[in-house]
Amino acid sequence: MDIDAGPKVMGDDGQFHAADEAVDLSGTPVEAWVALALFWALGLTVFYQFFTRYVLNNSASWTEEIARYLLIGTVFVGATIGVAKNNHIQVDFFYRFMPRPLSRAMGLLVDVMRIVFFGLAVVMSWQMMQKLGSYKMTVIDLPMNIVYGVVMLGFAAMFVRSFWVLRVHWRRGYCVLERPESTMDDR
Amino acid sequence: MLKIIFLILMSGGIPVAIAMAGASLIYLFWQDTTPPFVVIHRMVSGIDSFPLLAVPFFILAGNLMNNAGITNRIYNYALALVGWLKGGLGHVNVLGSVIFAGMSGTAIADAAGLGTIEIKAMKDHGYDTEFAVGVTAASATLGPIIPPSLPFVIYGMMANVSVGALFLAGILPGLMMALLMMLTVAYFAHKNGWGSDIKFEWPRVIKALAETAVVVGWPLALWVLITKLGFPPQVTVFAGLIVLFAADRFFNFQAVLPIMTPVLLIGGMTTGIFTPTEGAIAACVWAMVLGLGWYKTLSWTMFVKVCLDTVETTATVLFIVAAASIFGWMLTATGVTTAIASWVLAFTKEPWVFLLIANLLMLFVGCFLEPTAAITILVPILVPICQKLGIDLVHFGLVMVLNLMIGLLHPPMGMVLFVLARVAKLSVERTTMAILPWLVPLLGSLAIITYFPNVVLWLPRQFY
Repeated sequence: MDIDAGPKVMGDDGQFHAADEAVDLSGTPVEAWVALALFWALGLTVFYQFFTRYVLNNSASWTEEIARYLLIGTVFVGATIGVAKNNHIQVDFFYRFMPRPLSRAMGLLVDVMRIVFFGLAVVMSWQMMQKLGSYKMTVIDLPMNIVYGVVMLGFAAMFVRSFWVLRVHWRRGYCVLERPESTMDDR
Repeated sequence: MLKIIFLILMSGGIPVAIAMAGASLIYLFWQDTTPPFVVIHRMVSGIDSFPLLAVPFFILAGNLMNNAGITNRIYNYALALVGWLKGGLGHVNVLGSVIFAGMSGTAIADAAGLGTIEIKAMKDHGYDTEFAVGVTAASATLGPIIPPSLPFVIYGMMANVSVGALFLAGILPGLMMALLMMLTVAYFAHKNGWGSDIKFEWPRVIKALAETAVVVGWPLALWVLITKLGFPPQVTVFAGLIVLFAADRFFNFQAVLPIMTPVLLIGGMTTGIFTPTEGAIAACVWAMVLGLGWYKTLSWTMFVKVCLDTVETTATVLFIVAAASIFGWMLTATGVTTAIASWVLAFTKEPWVFLLIANLLMLFVGCFLEPTAAITILVPILVPICQKLGIDLVHFGLVMVLNLMIGLLHPPMGMVLFVLARVAKLSVERTTMAILPWLVPLLGSLAIITYFPNVVLWLPRQFY
């Protein structure tokens, strides 16, 4: 919102009249919708537990475990949004004092290391799933590997996204670390 | 070794979460004793916890309340109560932040969302931008101190402390901070000879006071009916809700229903009716009923947007917690924490000296790192020392969170500073100067909270 434009927030009648900005949902990455679906499932599960406990005085036991797994899914899929927007929390302090070629090289190195990490994470999740085999969840009779499978897919999506981030950084010639005020939409 | 790899990776600009998990991974490859996929297992089990379920819902509740319809109501209420004082909108800013702090758990989101409205209102009424930015920044720190609070949930989980006790511990210090800030506003108003922003009118003040009475009285009445007079809980609460909403329609209350959120949340958690997680759910349901159903100020597209924002914030925060869980485990397993602890204990055995050093360290860390990330790094190192020195962990949690919040405000890297500079279109240098005077009440509160633990611990001791 532009701070100088628009009518007064507190009008002459002595009341506040702030208005919301228009919402634009286009450009939301696919992973975000998947994570949102998991999050809503999580919300419904926890609400169902709340409802059964307070209104029916009889709480369902499966909800807590499912809720925890849904949270794991939401986090590992949702973390992809942060990779796609490149806004995971990072320290760009030292970049202010670096000469341009060094910060450029460091920025690209960070991108490459991120790709390596997510790549390894995919492989390790797979190893983890092999190790677990047919191990079941505690309360519900479902394989634990569903949870780790979602985690692996999340890492795989982050792996792919981080390639895309590297490409954007390579093409436009600077990264977010060098210019903290930029976003991934700036080309 | 592990710590050094991490510091190199992090200061090189690798996202904090990846730096933590990556450092552990490199160490595991180098050691070659434990299979590296333990990293994944630890990351997943790090967020496999019931208390952490509160995180997304506290974020959601705050985001849902942060829409113009409800914001306007809360500011109008604050305006009626304190707008007629000298420097009115400054006081409104602080009081508004106190109320929002009772619904949302973060400082940065508060600064960005509410800050825009607050700063614009103050500029419209002729306050200089510096003052508007200063008071907004300072009052944004209240968000995580007054419950609910995201940093407290993370700290509670990392340090194994009751989240409910931490929430209770935040109430008195938060109110004390608000008072000190209002005194600072009064000082500025006196010095610059500012007038009030609205006329003092008895009817308006009385209406606001009456609303306050309803907000306090309604839950109290229900509590007395159920516990003392033995009314059946479900039916009584249901009937009470109908009466409340009918009264709202009939008297056209300004802000009773929104302000009820923090009262119900805090009341529910202190009396042990809700766990923090259930409280968070209740707050979300309440916010959805108000925004989508009752006031109809929230459209469905906005609701989807709010949920997407919530998912993004949750994932970013908890991804760090996940990575911190492998990192913290490695720190302990490799003996780094014990080494640091014995090094510090060789240096001093006086709790007050340690608190002083810890404060300086946390202020320093706080200006480079986002609070959640800082908590996950600092807790495994500092908490064992606190235990050895007999410092109460609830007390220490408050000290830590306040430090990190103040770190958000001051240069070189405070995030609230940057957000507000962008919102107010002020250079970072001028924003820094604008915030400087507000460090006086904040650091004053920090000193009181650090060295008078009873301010913090009195309230939780009544319940725990």
